[in-house]
Amino acid sequence: MSSLLETTGLTVTFGGLNANDNVDIEITKGSFVGLIGPNGAGKTTFIDAITGFVPTSAGSAIFDGHDLSELKPHERAQLGLVRTFQSLELFEDLSVRDNLLVAAHPTTWYTLALDVFRLRQSNEEIEERIDWALEVAGLTGLEEELPTDLPHGQRKLVGVARALAAQPNLVLLDEPAAGLDTAESNALGGHLRGLLDHDVTVFLIDHDMGLVLSVCDFIYVMDFGKIIASGTPEEVRSNPEVIAAYLGEEAGEVQARSAEELRGISDTAGE
Amino acid sequence: MELIFGLFAGLAAGSVFALLGAGLVIAYRGSGVINFAHGSVAAYAAFTWDELRDMPGETGIGNEGGSIYLPWFDPIPEWGFLKALHINNLPVEIHIMTDPPAWLAMIITLAMSAFIGLLMHFLVFRPLRNSPMLAKVVGSVGIMLYLQAVALLNFGAANRADDGFWVFNSTSEPIANFIGMDDKNLPRSTPYLALAAIIIGAAAWAIYRYTRFGLATRAADENEKGATLLGYSPQFLAGLNWVISSVLAGLAGVIFLHKTMPNQLNLYVVSALAAALVGGLTSIPGAILGGLGLGAFASMGVSATSYSWWPEWLPVDGVRAFAPVLVVILVLYFRGHKLPIRGTVGLGRQPRAPATKHPMVGVGVGVAIALVMSNIFISKWESTLTMTLVAILAMLSLVVLLGFLGQISLVQWTLAGVSSFVLIRLASDGTKVRPMDFFVVWGPDLPDPIAALGGVIAAVLLGLLIGIPALRIRGVQLAVVTLAAIVAIEDLLMRNRPLMGTAAHTMNPTPKPKWFGQYVGALDEQSNQTDYWKYTVFAIIVVALAGIFVVNLRRGIIGRRFLAIRSNERAAAAAGVNVARTKMLGFGVSSFLAGLAGMLVAYKMPMVTSEFFSPFVGLAMIAFVYLGGITTVWGAVLGGMLVGGGLLSEFGSLHFEGITQAYINAVGGIGLVVNAVLTSGEGISLTITNQAKALVATMRGTTPNEGEKEEVVSTEEVNV
Ligand SMILES: Nc1ncnc2c1ncn2[C@@H]1O[C@H](COP(=O)(O)OP(=O)(O)O)[C@@H](O)[C@H]1O
Ligand SMILES: [Mg+2]
Repeated sequence: MSSLLETTGLTVTFGGLNANDNVDIEITKGSFVGLIGPNGAGKTTFIDAITGFVPTSAGSAIFDGHDLSELKPHERAQLGLVRTFQSLELFEDLSVRDNLLVAAHPTTWYTLALDVFRLRQSNEEIEERIDWALEVAGLTGLEEELPTDLPHGQRKLVGVARALAAQPNLVLLDEPAAGLDTAESNALGGHLRGLLDHDVTVFLIDHDMGLVLSVCDFIYVMDFGKIIASGTPEEVRSNPEVIAAYLGEEAGEVQARSAEELRGISDTAGE
Repeated sequence: MELIFGLFAGLAAGSVFALLGAGLVIAYRGSGVINFAHGSVAAYAAFTWDELRDMPGETGIGNEGGSIYLPWFDPIPEWGFLKALHINNLPVEIHIMTDPPAWLAMIITLAMSAFIGLLMHFLVFRPLRNSPMLAKVVGSVGIMLYLQAVALLNFGAANRADDGFWVFNSTSEPIANFIGMDDKNLPRSTPYLALAAIIIGAAAWAIYRYTRFGLATRAADENEKGATLLGYSPQFLAGLNWVISSVLAGLAGVIFLHKTMPNQLNLYVVSALAAALVGGLTSIPGAILGGLGLGAFASMGVSATSYSWWPEWLPVDGVRAFAPVLVVILVLYFRGHKLPIRGTVGLGRQPRAPATKHPMVGVGVGVAIALVMSNIFISKWESTLTMTLVAILAMLSLVVLLGFLGQISLVQWTLAGVSSFVLIRLASDGTKVRPMDFFVVWGPDLPDPIAALGGVIAAVLLGLLIGIPALRIRGVQLAVVTLAAIVAIEDLLMRNRPLMGTAAHTMNPTPKPKWFGQYVGALDEQSNQTDYWKYTVFAIIVVALAGIFVVNLRRGIIGRRFLAIRSNERAAAAAGVNVARTKMLGFGVSSFLAGLAGMLVAYKMPMVTSEFFSPFVGLAMIAFVYLGGITTVWGAVLGGMLVGGGLLSEFGSLHFEGITQAYINAVGGIGLVVNAVLTSGEGISLTITNQAKALVATMRGTTPNEGEKEEVVSTEEVNV
């Protein structure tokens, strides 16, 4: 199994505070990797850093053999390193379908000419990819809606579908299940697992412990910007440091909780 | 030595920038608005002062003096049948007393400024307080257009000169032999002006620093509750800040502006913005120092032009205009980010941009109407029709850039001017084109299509250059940069005689255009009388092609990416869109269309002046395309018909005598504000479509919900 994304000593500093501190994360091709941690731990910052949305102050990130440091956000996306946003960030005045089309269509220098002279044939492959992305996100039938007309949970999923429409090799999902109920969340988990069959590697951040523990092969735990533990779901669940990190945030006997009960810890929507 | 003198001499102008800049800062802190109309408020005050103090025999409309003119115009001037109804006209002029003393005139003038501040607060910015940033920008541009038009209507177009009073009197004995330079006299008022700016600035600073009101304003700046805790209503604070800001503008108008030039004054806002930006838009001392520094810097640049090493192609006016532009662009560029950082508040919800489904039908109908009109009606209509065509083309360029891509650039009409000027320069051969020409333009005598191409390329290159700051500067601040760019381009390029030919600035005789053996000008080739037929056909073809171009652009991949960038740059980048390159593409395409509009102007007129491309015509274009609908091709068509000299406005003037360009602009300014307040800028074309859809839906018995449902959901914004 080859590594698809590997960070070494990745550090992000915001005015003296290390939001990410020497983070080493490895994601192997075809795996389903999770990242959990209390609010403010630096999870979103990690995604921001490897997708080029915040500058890193030290460390390196290699994606599929490419050193990411010199690449702009859109170049990383074009390489197949595609993210979603915790804070929605949709094209609010474009229909769901148009949201996906922006990501799905590649452009070249003569795209404008094709547009203006209407020389383009309809593209089967792109149509199929979009239908597939909508299906994975459970949005089939909502193509023509505006994102603002959808409930919060589904808006999150528009972001997921848009990321999938961009033909990712590795998709980085930042709390996609926030705003979904248990049943919807489980359904999403099932769909996301299915991505592995489509050669899409998945990196998942979520507060829904049930979801993360049930779908991930391997989990990293972050607190105060540092990776404090990693391992299979079983290992992570019984790791004393992890329990301590969560205890620090909210009193309770986490140890005794089943995966299902862990849901609800800090699942305040958003940040 | 020359430079040091320049530094001191520049403090006079610098003190105006400083005081205006401080006023901008106060308005910005009071209600988060960058007030593009700030210079126009100062101008209105300057006119009011001059009008009050006018002595018999001086220039101006009312030579009696002692009258004030309320900041509006009589909407029913000579409209025959209304007059017959004996409707009492709106009072505009109020006579106070003949030859009022300076102190009284001063009080009245400042009261007038305060009044304008209150009007702006209650009629525009208070209703807009929860609107998207874009609507506020559009609102303030509307006020600028309105105020300058009303000033023109009420005070006329003549320049005014006032000696100033007390220590500021500009006719007192100058300080001779200044800093040991025999030939240099510094006006005695200059040091007093600088001192006054510093004192007034310090007083304003102290008020905001130490009084409860100032504390409350700063608290309200952070959140509205803060002010309430201190016992002030946020709206009261906002209103009071508008008054203070406007009174400062009035002071600047009275004390500092001894020359009152219609139009020019309004653009002082550019330098004032530069000054305010030095203080980060929030610091009064910063704005004062920035203003004085800017004045000194510009004046040093002007002094430098007298050195022999100074290149001839850089004229004095250009240097003066370019200093603030440089400051604005540098400050904003280095404070900007390539992509907005997490949690940045965007421009807010933008007007929808639906794709046109059947463009050919529209084009067919439009062309048919245009052809019929140009053929059947009297020749007056041909001139009007062709003006409408020019405006439609210019507005299409705005639809692409402002409507689709969401970049608030105010400069596109100026680019049309550049294209026009370059075309003339390239197509001329240094001989008289028509017997009535006063000037000749030297040039390489290129074939007309190639000269036109050269003009369009010049517009595109310049458009791309202006696009570069847009990669990091967004929203309102981009509007500031482009407004600055307008001033720079006008003085640096269009009025640049060495570059544009001797006649630049005044009038550039246009060549006789031939495309592939076919004459396409609006003046007959032999007789030089207007004969629009060929030109009209040519213009219709160009505009129709441009319309189809824009419709297809919107329906294509690039158009969708434009809208994506308009909506959310971070998301666009994450979706693999090269935001920088796509923005540049938008600037290029839009400038291309503007360049074509410039070509149509050159072919329509016997000569082209920089007046025709003045910033205010450009702002009127923006006003009317917003009114028509900034996101649709139909919006451009409607806007083109509404704009001064366009079909509908001309139709109006046939029926209602006395409608002048200034009336049209004043109405346009009001329309812009109303549009911003009522429809969040969707414009007439979309409003009509919505209403029509709603009507159809009602008739079918379903609920009309097209426009409304967007509002409902936006309440839950659970992000960062
Ligand atoms: N752009 C930014 N500027 C300054 N601080 C930031 C920025 N983005 C995130 N932070 C800070 O970094 C820390 C980590 O935040 P984040 O990555 O959002 O955590 P998580 O996603 O784990 O909840 C927080 O303290 C947050 O306030
Ligand atoms: Mg987060």
